[in-house]
Order: sequence, then structure tokens, then C-alpha cells
Amino acid sequence: MIRDLLGIEEVEAAAGETSVPVASPAATAAEVRERAAVYRLLSGAFVEEPSREFLDAVRTPDAQRRFAEAGLRLDDDFTGAPFDELAETLAVEYTTLFAASGGFPPVESVRLYGRFKQEPNFDTMQLYKRHGFVLQPGRFEVFADQLGVELMFVAELLERQAAALDREDAKGSRRLDKDIKRFWVQHPGRWVRGYAGLVQRAAHHSFYREMARLLDGFAAEEIAAMGLAVEDADQARLVVPKAEIKVEFDPNEPVCNGCVGEALAAQEKVQTLHDLR
Amino acid sequence: MEMPKVTRRTFLKVSAGTGAAAAAAPRLLRAMETELGGKDFGPVTGAERKAIPINCHVCNIQDGAIAYVENDRVVKLEGNPEHVSTRGRLCAKGNAGMWYSYDPDRILYPLKRVGARGEGKWKRITWDEALTELAAKLDAALKEDPNTIMLKYGRQRTGGVIDRFMQTLGSATVLNHTSVCESSKKIAMEPTWGPDIETPDFANTKYVLNFGSNILEAAYFHNPLSQRITEGRVDNHMKIVTFDVRLSNTAGFSDEWIPVHPGTDGAVALAMGHVILRDNLQDSDFINTWTNVTVDELKAHYKQYTPEWASKLSGVPAETIERIAREFATTKPATLFTYRGPCKHLYGSYNEKSCMMLPIMTGNIEKPGGYCLPRGMGWPQPQPQPPKPAHRSYLADHPDYPLAGHKVAHLVPFWIADGKQKINVYISYQDNPVYTNPGSVAVWGKLFRDEKLIPYYVSMSPFMGEETALADLILPDCPYLERWEPESMPNSLWPWLGIRQPVHKSLGESRENRVMMRDIIWKLDPDGKRGMKQYWNFKDGEDYMRHHFDNVPGLKEAGGLDFLKKHGVWPIYGKLDPRTGKVNDKTGREIKAEYGLYMKELSAADMTGTTVEKDGAIHKNGKAIGVRRNGRNYVGFPTGNRLINIRVDAWAEYGFNPMPTFKRIPSHETMKDDELVLVTFKLNVMKQSRTAAVKWLAEIAHSNPMWINTATAAKIGVKTGDLVRVESKVGYLVTKAYVTEGIHPRTVAIPTGFGHWEYGRLATLKLKEKKGAAGHGQDDPDLENVWWEDKGVHPNNIIPAVVDPIGGSQGWYDTVVRVTKAGPNDKYGDTQGDWQKHYEAYKETLRYAYTGDLHRKMHPEMASWGGPESVEHKAPSGH
Repeated sequence: MIRDLLGIEEVEAAAGETSVPVASPAATAAEVRERAAVYRLLSGAFVEEPSREFLDAVRTPDAQRRFAEAGLRLDDDFTGAPFDELAETLAVEYTTLFAASGGFPPVESVRLYGRFKQEPNFDTMQLYKRHGFVLQPGRFEVFADQLGVELMFVAELLERQAAALDREDAKGSRRLDKDIKRFWVQHPGRWVRGYAGLVQRAAHHSFYREMARLLDGFAAEEIAAMGLAVEDADQARLVVPKAEIKVEFDPNEPVCNGCVGEALAAQEKVQTLHDLR
Repeated sequence: MEMPKVTRRTFLKVSAGTGAAAAAAPRLLRAMETELGGKDFGPVTGAERKAIPINCHVCNIQDGAIAYVENDRVVKLEGNPEHVSTRGRLCAKGNAGMWYSYDPDRILYPLKRVGARGEGKWKRITWDEALTELAAKLDAALKEDPNTIMLKYGRQRTGGVIDRFMQTLGSATVLNHTSVCESSKKIAMEPTWGPDIETPDFANTKYVLNFGSNILEAAYFHNPLSQRITEGRVDNHMKIVTFDVRLSNTAGFSDEWIPVHPGTDGAVALAMGHVILRDNLQDSDFINTWTNVTVDELKAHYKQYTPEWASKLSGVPAETIERIAREFATTKPATLFTYRGPCKHLYGSYNEKSCMMLPIMTGNIEKPGGYCLPRGMGWPQPQPQPPKPAHRSYLADHPDYPLAGHKVAHLVPFWIADGKQKINVYISYQDNPVYTNPGSVAVWGKLFRDEKLIPYYVSMSPFMGEETALADLILPDCPYLERWEPESMPNSLWPWLGIRQPVHKSLGESRENRVMMRDIIWKLDPDGKRGMKQYWNFKDGEDYMRHHFDNVPGLKEAGGLDFLKKHGVWPIYGKLDPRTGKVNDKTGREIKAEYGLYMKELSAADMTGTTVEKDGAIHKNGKAIGVRRNGRNYVGFPTGNRLINIRVDAWAEYGFNPMPTFKRIPSHETMKDDELVLVTFKLNVMKQSRTAAVKWLAEIAHSNPMWINTATAAKIGVKTGDLVRVESKVGYLVTKAYVTEGIHPRTVAIPTGFGHWEYGRLATLKLKEKKGAAGHGQDDPDLENVWWEDKGVHPNNIIPAVVDPIGGSQGWYDTVVRVTKAGPNDKYGDTQGDWQKHYEAYKETLRYAYTGDLHRKMHPEMASWGGPESVEHKAPSGH
């Protein structure tokens, strides 16, 4: 998918040739910049409601063609809607999905800890700082572990890596490559694939559905390409069917210290938490 | 080499012979929980966590707390050992407070409604867009009439900011939540002795009469009073007697639980007064010196309230009333405490007054172990201050309830629907009447959905409560851990000042209330030409606090706001003894409270320029500053005549009985055999509407079956867990039964705080229901940990509005219901309230107002009253 989107041509290995061509620093830098561009695109889609400029850019015929080639199926609600109407619709959809009560904020702390501003927020903030970045508000103020910010951070590191390659700083490039991998393992790799699946299922508008598909596929390819082994802890959690949960008390028991009769009747069914573990 | 053979037995022999040495060995480790109050350490790093003192605000007791911050987030909350009232302890609610800040359903940005009201479609907008839109609406309303801008607040501790805001706009339409809280208690107490609450000295008493309060779980000052009542029991061997319809945990803790028929506490108290006066057990000297009636007048008045009369009304045996009355009067010191039980009824003010008469007539006032005046502290307001609005507001100052100084806000929807006052902009602040008020969604939901009645509704809230879900514009307020607020609460016998301070930067783009209101005013008056901006000349919340605290005498010398930032509270009376849990002074002795406040004598300087009236009142500059008794000049009580007014003449002006009395609730008098009274109550981990979304608390309590007496349940064939249908005159609900001996047979009780249909994923469990469906929020990882399926059933939809015509309180405990086994078509959680029926109930309750046709019938003893035409409406006196 990502190769289609970026227009990267597969080079078939001829018989007897090695299948691992050594790319020139310039070619590697170009690919790194192209990856950074995808990160920026996805960051722009999720960090806040799409701006006029962003929508202009993603509705150009070239961008549309690239999306189609990548297998993204943007519906008429995106391609055919009048510009102002589209901007308004996407702003409302963004709010409903990501920024209002009852939604599912694209924030690592929430996805993995069930609350805003937990360890990932602090970790990412520290990490950005160590790399010389400071998080500043865009149209809105967002968390350091917000999806769009995490993707933006990778884009920034990739651009630094491309610059390192331009000046033939192999050591610097390798260091940045490691930083990016480490970041993926510690942060986006732990949640964005599962989260992207959720957005695909829940989004009403094809733009968010397809951006989530892109994120899903891109994340999987990036992880594979970087040779990382990281499990997604968001939607890949073990879910124990309610029927199989055995607890030391009757969960339907009123919380008024009563219902002794009912609790006694249910006693045979009751097992300990130890058994569950 | 042969090793010495040491067996376990050998060890023990060594131990037996070396006990003294073991005792003398140095002890370098101590138990952290008792020694390290005020400090906390990260379990991984071992590093000391940043400790920020605050005042808790999960409920309104204002416990002293410390927020421990690690990596810029609160990881733990615990009590502040320097706080004299709460002495290092927090309740379960306080321990869970950080959930408010990090709740995934928290509103972090201004939201503008884009669909129909209540449809749930929002668009995030910038603060500038939000303020511009709101300013335009306010501007238009100001041009028509400032009073068309209404603000109703629930739990607000801004220290004057709300009034400043509305006065800046020139609107008097400010409503509170007090009428659904305890306003009739306040209105009974204020004209009688001044303050609106008492401080029972539980720790030092020998006898407690508890009328309808659940101190150990929920009542006003739950944590500090729980500590003192336990001390009184353990250290002082006091006796406690609880009158309550329900066997609460406080009733269970008591020596005697005496179930009473709802609303009859006042009759029991009057009958006890009858016994005390009949048997000459009163403190005649105190009555004759410090009240506005004589013992003889009181004896004559109480003669009518016999134990037999009260027994018939309350179900309490006459001999029990006789016995408890004598015990109370002859045990010294003794005290009394009430909360909502007596006062949340039609004529709740009379009930409260009758109860407070017992410590008054026995002279237990302001004595160690007695019934004491509350101790509080004030703070100055930033200057300049806006003038009071030029015109009264009908809604805030209703002519039918002139004595209800704490307003009658729960009738507002009916008054607006009746066209009594036009509203252009409705602003709510921490107030969820759609959930908390009588009629709930049937009444307030209807009001907010009707764009003709409320053309523009702004909610200042961090959470999507039932009210906020119906707003046009949501301005994201901060939860308490991110706000600056001044505090002082009379929750022990030691007065204190305190603060709430942000423990970290507010999340997202939420703004604390005072900053939000400043920004609205600045938007309305950017260059100050309208004269509004001058009242909002502060940089931020901390700057505002400096105006409050940097010049308070005593605190100023200690460091002003900087002292409070460091300690959270001032003064610090001593050091918490980890062994006793009490505060000791420098000598190691427990600190002692000051008593007899009313007996303080005025100085010669105080007396300069005074006049002394015939009744002894000492006036200076047109105000009573004290009272002369037996030739000495005392400060007396903070009433208009500096005495305790057993006879409240202002009540008589409106045809109410000025003396302690009791009125039976007419609907209870005519109850049929199969009818019961529905009451509500709170569990220890729930407050009104704002705790169901707190995970640690919701895990403890999430369902609320209806308590029903064993005998009553047997009559209708119901056992615990069965579904029951509960019908009142305004609607019905279907819930589960909890059959127990611990409730009066003519009463059923449903705890509140449950059954939300808004307020986030945890309170509603809505997203669990929607799992797999098209929509948002399904597959929420955290909800997978929610093992319960039952969110409870909210009762307020079927509770009609009832107004105490004196105090203005909602009669929460007056609802007559019929309970039956649920039918085949009844589903758990079904609830229906009918606006028209609620409206009829409102009309019915108006009949008891002093202007209503039932007023005279209910007060035959006031036959000489000249009628409503004989009095002129005055500004109410509540605060």
C-alpha cells in the first residue's frame, strides 16, 4: 500500500543478483523524506480538524489518484462535497470521534491507561524535549501523546535523518534511525494499529475511515520494514468473555450489604479470583 | 568444626531471656502511614513526590488534602495533617478525586452545538469563537434587560466570582441549588440564632440526639464529624440516639435507632421539649437570659405537644419519647445534630426549629460537648466591586416565598413556562438540575429542550452531564485540582482559611471559572468604556487569590498567599499526633477549642458611641453589636437583637407560627394502606450527580436497589432482587427491591447518584450497550474492565416539586408512592415522568405559600393574621 502511495517502484532481483540493493545516500534520503511526508499527512488528518489548506492539498487530482492507487476508497462524501460543507462535516465528525465526551480521543494515555495525561504523556514530552522540540498549540492545544503529535515527531526525526544523509553523516543517520525505532516500540507501535482499526469501524465519514486504513497499513509496513517486534496493546488485549469471568462475589448483588439470600443461592457458582488468574 | 545446634525452640528460649535487651535495641524503622503524613515516595524511584496542599472538593466538606504529583500528574491524594478539621484523613471520595482531571470523557475544548438540542452533535471551536458568540448573545440580552441573563450554579466555591460576574452584567437573576439541598434548615436557624448551621461538639459530649443525618457516610461535615463522633464514642463513652426512617450506617453505629414516620421528627422533638419543660428539666437561667421568651411562655406553648400526640404521628412509643427526653435533659453535656431528615419536607423549617429547641432549652449552647455556633473566617474581595443590580429578579426573589432567603430554584422551570420572567441567555455552572432536581428530565429536560423558553443555553462544565448535553455552547471548566479558590468551612470548632490551588496546568484548553468569566467580560468591554472591565483587573487565578489573602491580619504576617500555597491552610494549630490522631500544641497537649463565643464581653472601645435599648440590645451606627445582660455587655448571638429568637416575629408577619410548631404533611395524613413514602439517600461514595463517572467509586457502588421493609415486601409478594414498579402522582419507575428490616414499614428508600443517562461512559455504561453497533466509543479498552452491567435507576423523575412555604426547600421526603410487583411489560430501568402532572404538583404546592388558599387552613392558630394583603414584600435575608 505504502509503496503505491509513494510511487515507489519494486525492483525485481535478476537471477544471480543479490536481492538487497545498497541504495545511495541520496536515494535513501529521498525515501526517508517520502516516509516523512506520509507521517505528516496522517498527522495532519488526526492532530486537529482539517484546515482549508490541508483539504485543498488532499483534494488535488494528483493526491486523489495517489489515494486510489494505494487502495483508499474515498467516497463521494469526500470527493463530491462542496468545499465549505466538507470542512464543516469533517470538523463535526472530528469532534464527535476525537474531541467530545463519549468519543475515543486519539491519545495514547487514554487508549492504554483509560485516562488522559498518564505516563505516555510524560514520556513523550520528555522525549521531545531531549530531541530539542517543544510542543506548541496549533489551532487547539493537544497532548504530547496525541496521535498526530507522535506521528509528527517521527516525521521530524525522519527529516533530520534525511538531512544527515544529505551531508553524508552516516552515524547521525543511524542514530536517528535507532531513535525512530525506539520511539515506535515505546509509543505508536503499542497502540496505533488497534486504534486505527477502531476508527475504521466507528467513522461515519469516508475520510476518517480511509485515513485510519492508511494509518493501519502504513503502521504495519513501517513496523515490518524497521524489523520491529511490538505488540499492539490497544485492540489486541485479551478479552475474557463475561460469561467466563468468575469472581469472589456476585456482581449483580446490590451494593447495600444485603441480598444475603440471593448471594447464598449463588454461592455454588462463585469461584475465586485466584482461579481466574 | 561443629556448628551450634540451633532449633526453633532454642531461638524461643533466647527470646525469653533477652526481652529487655530487645526493648532497649534501637528502632530505626517506623510505620510510614502514621509517621510520614504529608510525604510520599515513588515506589519505583524511591524519590519523594511533589506534595501540593489543597482543599478537597469532590463534595462540599472541604477536607484538607495533599495532592502528590509525579511526572506532572497526580498519583495520590491523601489528607493534609496540618488541617485542623480533617487532621490528615480523606474519605473514599477524596481519595479518588484525580479521576475528574483525567477522565477520558472530560470536555477539554469549547464545543458548539450543531444538531438539535440534546442530539449529541458538537463542533469544537476556539475560545475566541466561543467568546465572540457568547458576547454577542449577552450584548443583545443586555440591551433588552440585564435580568434576562440568568446564571444558575450548583456546587460553587468561587469565593464571590459568580456574583461579581452577574453584578458586572447588572443581572439579579442568579439562582443556586440550595432549595434542593438544605435551605429550610438554614431558614429555621438563621432568624433563631444567626448562623445557618450548628457545630456539635461530638468529641466532648456525653449524649447525642441525631435527627435524620447520616454523619458517618454523607451528611454535612462527614469526614471531620465522623472523626469527632467516633472519639466521643470511644474516648468519652457518649450515648447516641438516631431518629431516621432508615437504618443508615450512622443509625447502626448508634446506641438506639428509632425509626420515625417521614417528616415527623419535629413532632418527636416538640414532645421531648414538652417532657423537659413539664418535668422542669430545662435550663431556666439560659432561657430567661439569652432568648426572647420566658420559661413560663415556653412551658405554656409546649403544653400542647404531648408524647401521646407525637407518638400517634411518628410511630415512636410515648414512653420512648419520655425516656429519651429525660436522658437528654439530665445528661450533661449533650448535643444534637440534624441534616436533611427533618428539613426536606413541606414545613421542614418548623421541623428543624423544633429540633434545635432541645439544646437551647437545656442550655447546651456553646459549651464543651454542646451545641456550638459554627466557626468560620472571611476574606476581602478584590476592589473595586460592581454595584448590586438595579432591579429585582422574579425568579431569584419570588414574591410568594418572601422568607426563603436561599431561593426556590427548583420551581424555576414552571415560572419560566408560566412566562413570569423572560430568559434570553441561561448560564449554568456546576449545576445539573436535569438530574438533581425534582422532576428531573421530565421538568428540567423539557425546559432546556424548549428553545422558546431558553433561547440560548451555555454550560460551564468539565463534563457532559445531563444538563450540559442540552446546551448550545459548552465552555470547558476545570475540575477542582486545577482551580484557584479561597476556602473556609465551619467543619470543626477551629476556624481556618484555606485554598485550592492547581496541582498542574489545566488539561487541554479548559479554563478555571474566574478566568473564563474575566475573558467574557473582557470580550464585552475590551477597552473598558462600558465600565465592566475595571472589576476584572487581574492577571490569573493566583493574582486574584493575592487580592483575597495578602492582607488578612495574622495571615499577612505569616506570608499571605505564599503561606497558603505551602501549607494549604491557616492557622496551623499544632502538630498531628500519629498515635492519637489528634492535634497537639507545643507542649504536647491536645489543643482545646474556645467556647462561649456569645459570652465575650464588649470592650470599652466597643461601647463608645453605643445606645442600649430596653430589651438590652446594644446599638452602634444603626446596627446591634451586642446585648446587655445582668449589667454586663456581651456580643451575644449574631441576630438582629443579639439573642436567640425562639419566637421569630418575621414568620408571624406572613401568617406562619412564630413559635416552635409542627404541621403534618396533608398527603401523609390521607395515605391509604397500600401507599408508602419514597425517600432518597446517599451512599458514602456518592454525591449528587458527579461521582458516578469516578471509576474507583463506581466500582464500589453502581446500583441502587430500593429498600423496602420485610413486612411491607411480604404484603406485595416481593423478595430481594425482584423487580418492582414504583408509582407516584407524577410518574413511575421500575427498579429492584432490597428487602430489609432496616427501614420504616411505611417508607421505601432509593439512593441517589445512579441511573445516569449522560455523564460519560462509566456513569451511563452507554458505550457498553452500543458495543459493536455503528457509532463511536465502542471497543473502549478501559470499559473492558468494567465487570458490572447495572448502572442503577434514578428516582427524581417521579418526585414532584414540593416547597416548604417558609424555607423554600424541596420536600424530597414527602412523595407518596404505590409499590407493586413489576408486570410482564415492565423492564428494569423504565422510568417516566409527565410534565403536565409535575406542573399540577407545582400548582398544588403553591397553595401552601403565604399567598395560597391552604395557608390559613394549615395555620388555624394564626387566625388573627391580616392576610397576604397585610404585608409588604421585602428583600429576603438569606445568604
